[in-house]
Amino acid sequence: MGRSIGKIVNPRFMGRKQRKDLLFAVVLLLPTFYILFKTFLFPIYQSLVWSMYKYHMLDGSDVVFVGFGNFIALFKNHDFWTATYFTGYFTVISTVAELVLGLFSALLLNQMFRGRVFFRMIIIIPWAMLTLVNGLLWKWIFQPGNGSFTIILKKIHVLSASENPLWLADAHNIINSVVVADVWKMTPFMTLLLLAGLQAIPSSLYEAAMMDGAGFWKKLWYVTIPQLFPILMIAVVLRTIAAFRVYDILTVFTGDPTTSISYLTFNKAFRYFYLGEASAMAWVSTAIILVFIVLYIRLLKKNSHEV
Amino acid sequence: MKRGKVLFLIFLVFILLTGCNAAPPTSGEKGEAKDEKLSWNNKKDLKGEEITLLWVNTDGENGPRGKILKEFTKDTGIKVKEIAVDYNSLYNKITTAVLSNSADIDLAEMDTIWAGQFMEGNIAYDLADSVPKDVQKKYTQSSLSSVMYKDHLVAVPFFSSTKHFYWNKELLAKAGYNAPPKTWEEFREMSKKLTKNGVYGSAWSWKQAEGLNCDFVSLVYGFGGKFFDENGTPVFNKGGGLKALQFMVDLTQKDKTVDPASMQWSEDDVKNAFATGKIAMMTNWEGMYPDLNDPSKSKVINKTDVGLMPGNGDVESAAVTGSEGISLMKDSKHKQAALQFLKWMSTKNFQLPMFEEDGMYPTLEGLYDDPDLKAADKTKTVDKIMKQFQYGQNRPNAPGYVEWADILSAEIHEALLGKKSPEDALNTAAKSIEKAIEEAK
Repeated sequence: MGRSIGKIVNPRFMGRKQRKDLLFAVVLLLPTFYILFKTFLFPIYQSLVWSMYKYHMLDGSDVVFVGFGNFIALFKNHDFWTATYFTGYFTVISTVAELVLGLFSALLLNQMFRGRVFFRMIIIIPWAMLTLVNGLLWKWIFQPGNGSFTIILKKIHVLSASENPLWLADAHNIINSVVVADVWKMTPFMTLLLLAGLQAIPSSLYEAAMMDGAGFWKKLWYVTIPQLFPILMIAVVLRTIAAFRVYDILTVFTGDPTTSISYLTFNKAFRYFYLGEASAMAWVSTAIILVFIVLYIRLLKKNSHEV
Repeated sequence: MKRGKVLFLIFLVFILLTGCNAAPPTSGEKGEAKDEKLSWNNKKDLKGEEITLLWVNTDGENGPRGKILKEFTKDTGIKVKEIAVDYNSLYNKITTAVLSNSADIDLAEMDTIWAGQFMEGNIAYDLADSVPKDVQKKYTQSSLSSVMYKDHLVAVPFFSSTKHFYWNKELLAKAGYNAPPKTWEEFREMSKKLTKNGVYGSAWSWKQAEGLNCDFVSLVYGFGGKFFDENGTPVFNKGGGLKALQFMVDLTQKDKTVDPASMQWSEDDVKNAFATGKIAMMTNWEGMYPDLNDPSKSKVINKTDVGLMPGNGDVESAAVTGSEGISLMKDSKHKQAALQFLKWMSTKNFQLPMFEEDGMYPTLEGLYDDPDLKAADKTKTVDKIMKQFQYGQNRPNAPGYVEWADILSAEIHEALLGKKSPEDALNTAAKSIEKAIEEAK
């Protein structure tokens, strides 16, 4: 029975029973499809329609069709560009830092040593933590004066005794602080992905490299990284997509919405209820993320061909 | 490729089926449902009905707020389903319910600044005709005005609140003062003397958020200025308003008597810092006691006091209000039962225990002379807190306020960090807010 359901067969070449089966399958799928449509597809379409309107839901003003007016206003909006800049900055810095740290901790965890299983287990803890909880934790660490971040930096003489920076006051500092908190939380994700990739590299390659007299760095450069490259790219694209949407941790750190596009969009949508402008903004950031998603799918396809 | 076409076709069909209503509703469609007539002195039997109340309660059902709901059910026979949230989730909870056209919530706590959105956005039911005029007169003027938007009664007053001035008696005495400052100039001079040995003259909730605007409003009126004029135009960039921000910048940049962490603190952080005994003076809401006298939370037991916010020149004192109300949701299916709750809330049965156990200040004028309330006042602060209520100053509650407030706090914060001059910051804020007002028309 299940034979014909898995793949779509041209109905003209189906037997009667097969056609009945297909119909039955469609009937079974319809409720799920309807719910998915109503809760997932339709809102996407609706937001596209809304992005063409001036729609201030809570101030009693009239709904007006403005065409691409919201998009034009958006590109002229200083806050939008500030938010885009910070989002880009955050995405690049945090992804690169996580990649480098993640690669080295993956290499470390790939070695044989006592307690390897234990370390492989505990490294997941930051990643498993709720972003909001992580934010509250770091907000505490980032207190000026007696916060542990300041104290540690003073102990290792990065800061002089008289300095007392405000980690969470000025937008630039906030973004750097968020990078630190995010790197702490998301490096394990990188590590796990890369560790899986490392284990797939055949040891014969390393043996051959060693025969040729390669040291640690040479092995890393000529064997590990090229072999790891496909998964490295996937990890980077996945992190980029996620980092681009940074939002929740910022709400804990600051009330400044220009620190990320998602934060700005959220404020427009669910604090001021300017739903038209918010929809337009959401579509612009979706378009940017879409570029990365296409890249991601391409990489996945390329990988599966190679295997 | 074929499969893609099929899916696309199905998608198109669905859009055609439902697509007609993807456009936002125009004002005509917003559903002006005919409102049933509600009666304050209801005679109908409502026993067994259940209402849903969304409010701030972080102590659970056995905390003071949970207990009071059981009392209500005992008195009236109406059951209450409580949705308890923290203050920061309250606004989103309400608006999400509204966006999804849900009628699940009958009553919701409302902060004074949301009144305009609640009315214009069709969230709340206008209670102006349902609460009799003589009942309305029983509330304190400040608590009633904070739930009014134009002529609409958007909520029933829930508790009264303003900011107050708190000081550490021990630290002041050490610096040679036996009384708190009466004017902001005195405050500035005292701060200079108090700031030494790791102690700061004052700490504030100057994180870029609404708490910053609240302190600014107190100071604007304290310096004889005005926040918005009668026509709703921002005027905080002139006179007293400008002086207020200059004062704030002087404290942080010139005198350095403000704990620098203030730039990333909200009200609770300030309270915690004050409780460690390293801060001499602060402004904050009610509800500091009994925590400040609780040995597990505080190092300043019986060392602190509360009184009037300082003034300046002709102004004796001024403080921003933060009173709240409980709104009846427009989509509620149990309006009459919900109104019974609002009526019961406006009695001593509710307000006295809430004061005694939760530290919330009554909205009924008459209750402040009540001997039972005086007896319940263990820290002897009622009279001092009450006095400040007469100097309360409201923030605007027009629908756009939430956006204006974000604009303003961003600019003030820039000035406090020394990135902009106070004049520049306030002028930019006023201009942007005027533009936002214009666009919302």
